[in-house]
Amino acid sequence: MELFIQTLIDGLLIGGLIIVVGIGFSLCFGVMHIVDFAVGEWVMLGAYTSYLMVRYFGHDPMIYLPILFLIFAGLGWLIYPLIYRAVSGKRHNPVIMGLVFTFGLSIMAKGGALSVWGYHIQSITTWLSGKSLSLGGLVTLPALRFAGFIFGIGVTLLFMIFLYKTKFGVIIRATAQDRETASLLGTDVKKIGGLVYSLYAGLTGMSGVLIGALFSIHAAMGAKYCTLAFFVVVLAGMGYVPGVIIAAFVLGLLQSLVGVYIGGRYNLVALFIVMYGVLLITPKGLLRRGI
Amino acid sequence: MKKYYKIVFLFLIFSFLIPGSGFSQEKRDYFKVGVVTSLSGELVFGGTVTKRGYDLWAETVNSMGGIEIGGKKYKVTLIYADDQSTPATAAVAGERLITQEKVDFILGPYASGPTLALAPITEKYKIPHITGSAESPLIWLRKFKYTFGTIPSVNLTAQAVITVLAKEVSPKPTTIGILGIDDPFSKFTAEAFKTASERLGLKVVKYEIVPEGSDYTPSISAIKALNPDLFAMGNHEKAAIEMMKISKELKFNPKAFVQHYGMTTPDFRKSLGKDCEYVFGNAVWTPNMNHQSTILFKTTKEYHEAFVKKFNTDPDYTEAGSTAAGIAFQEALRMIKATPPLTEAQKEALISALEKLDIMTFYGRIKFETTGESYHCNAGLQPVALQYQGGKTVEVGPGNLRRVAPKYPTPPWDKR
Repeated sequence: MELFIQTLIDGLLIGGLIIVVGIGFSLCFGVMHIVDFAVGEWVMLGAYTSYLMVRYFGHDPMIYLPILFLIFAGLGWLIYPLIYRAVSGKRHNPVIMGLVFTFGLSIMAKGGALSVWGYHIQSITTWLSGKSLSLGGLVTLPALRFAGFIFGIGVTLLFMIFLYKTKFGVIIRATAQDRETASLLGTDVKKIGGLVYSLYAGLTGMSGVLIGALFSIHAAMGAKYCTLAFFVVVLAGMGYVPGVIIAAFVLGLLQSLVGVYIGGRYNLVALFIVMYGVLLITPKGLLRRGI
Repeated sequence: MKKYYKIVFLFLIFSFLIPGSGFSQEKRDYFKVGVVTSLSGELVFGGTVTKRGYDLWAETVNSMGGIEIGGKKYKVTLIYADDQSTPATAAVAGERLITQEKVDFILGPYASGPTLALAPITEKYKIPHITGSAESPLIWLRKFKYTFGTIPSVNLTAQAVITVLAKEVSPKPTTIGILGIDDPFSKFTAEAFKTASERLGLKVVKYEIVPEGSDYTPSISAIKALNPDLFAMGNHEKAAIEMMKISKELKFNPKAFVQHYGMTTPDFRKSLGKDCEYVFGNAVWTPNMNHQSTILFKTTKEYHEAFVKKFNTDPDYTEAGSTAAGIAFQEALRMIKATPPLTEAQKEALISALEKLDIMTFYGRIKFETTGESYHCNAGLQPVALQYQGGKTVEVGPGNLRRVAPKYPTPPWDKR
């Protein structure tokens, strides 16, 4: 019984981390129809930046979260016009153009990180690293993962409030639903896209702190988050932001339950079976609300 | 006249294309050595480890004027090709080095997966190839004629640490949980831990192989629930660090953590800080060994000093094994008095020379097996069990290889 509860907790906490990466990715696709292959590299760059900040300025990496958000939102803002150019105009297939462009960004980021920061595996430690809560002496709640979980839920809630309770959120949703009509009604689609991409880059860069502290930091660390982001967005329904929470928990619990009760080697198989199942049975995601 | 030009043009083209023709045969007085290893991707750390070992060999040889053959010295030039940490790219990189760069021989990749992909290519083109790093027994079971390796396969070495823990500590452990990553090296490391444990009477309560890059938390939770005395991990350096971090988060505190390769790397120590203390591991070489040689580096200490001077860090056994791979080629070339560029007949003779080679180096004895399951592997080196004590690895056995007594059982996380 203890193992089952621990497995559920592990799954929910893994899901919390997936939310952090998946939420911006989902919004980015929903509004701009850009499948950003470089999502994992934003995580990697965020992790490296926090590592450098700790190295040069000291302090706990968690306090750099707002600064990281600003840095990466700024970077996103600077890069977006290039992406916009790649996916707009008279391109035959803008989604593919975006995919290719961000794939290139991903390769450049990986290669650049390797050249600049080298091949060593780096690590950052927060005041929560290695700490855990023992619940009734039966199960363990790792503190840093729990912080990631809270962070994921908190960010999603803020996002939801922003999207559904503010005027700007309405404009973003209108752009996501119908870019042309929104444009005809006076929305600067390019500007909205730039702001959303900044938001996405800032959030994903920030998640690098948590992921870097939990695992390890190296130039190739982003690849698996790219895969996870794809999984979560397909399950959530392409572009449906609230679905990310449910999809991330489904993925986290699936990984945890399969890892413990069937075998870790079947984890990816299980993920693919679920993803294909969703694509075949309910292509608009688990909640049938995606594009 | 026009027809005449056409004939001359075609003749020139064919001259370049036909191997052995006057134009295609390079003339050079140095050895072109191809190196295929991981210079990017997931395994870039290990790839760089092998690169450092190969570089130190080439630089030391060249600083002495080159390899002396028949009274003349021939320098070596290393030509690198990145396998991007994937087997398929290793094969392509090797083919490019052989067909375009026309290298004389090849120093092989860091990991076993890329090595297993490169070996059929060196077989196809009949190019001698020594890996200074790969440890999967699968490589030697395939009996590649042109592939050799300086580090004994992991099934021969991983038992050292299990032997120490099963026989030489008190209270004796009775159970073990094993977690390995699904790649040719890590899987066989886990398999070797399992075989050694069963042979020595330990009960294997969980044996799990998981994909690289997955979140290892569920698997470690499952092992923790069974409360084994020992927790053994088959992995490379990155997973080695992550599995230790997750164990700490879950407050999983077995009597001993057992690793193989990952724990010997400086990044393991740097990333985990004091959490690397008490971790056990294996090696076939450490800088504390006292091998004597007449070739290149006269003692293990001399190699250690040269390495620290160049790279400002201690070498581990993979770096030493990579340098030893260069030494093996150098001595085999001297045996057959082959000068660059090597002809096909000389490459065949080089294989025979490598099979006959029996030398003492700073790394220990190099004598490649010529029969059996370790075909062309330098299987004779004796493995030593290591443990982190006071921030460095010390030899804790087995038997008379012990320099320091193992610290066992491992204290709880908050008492380290």
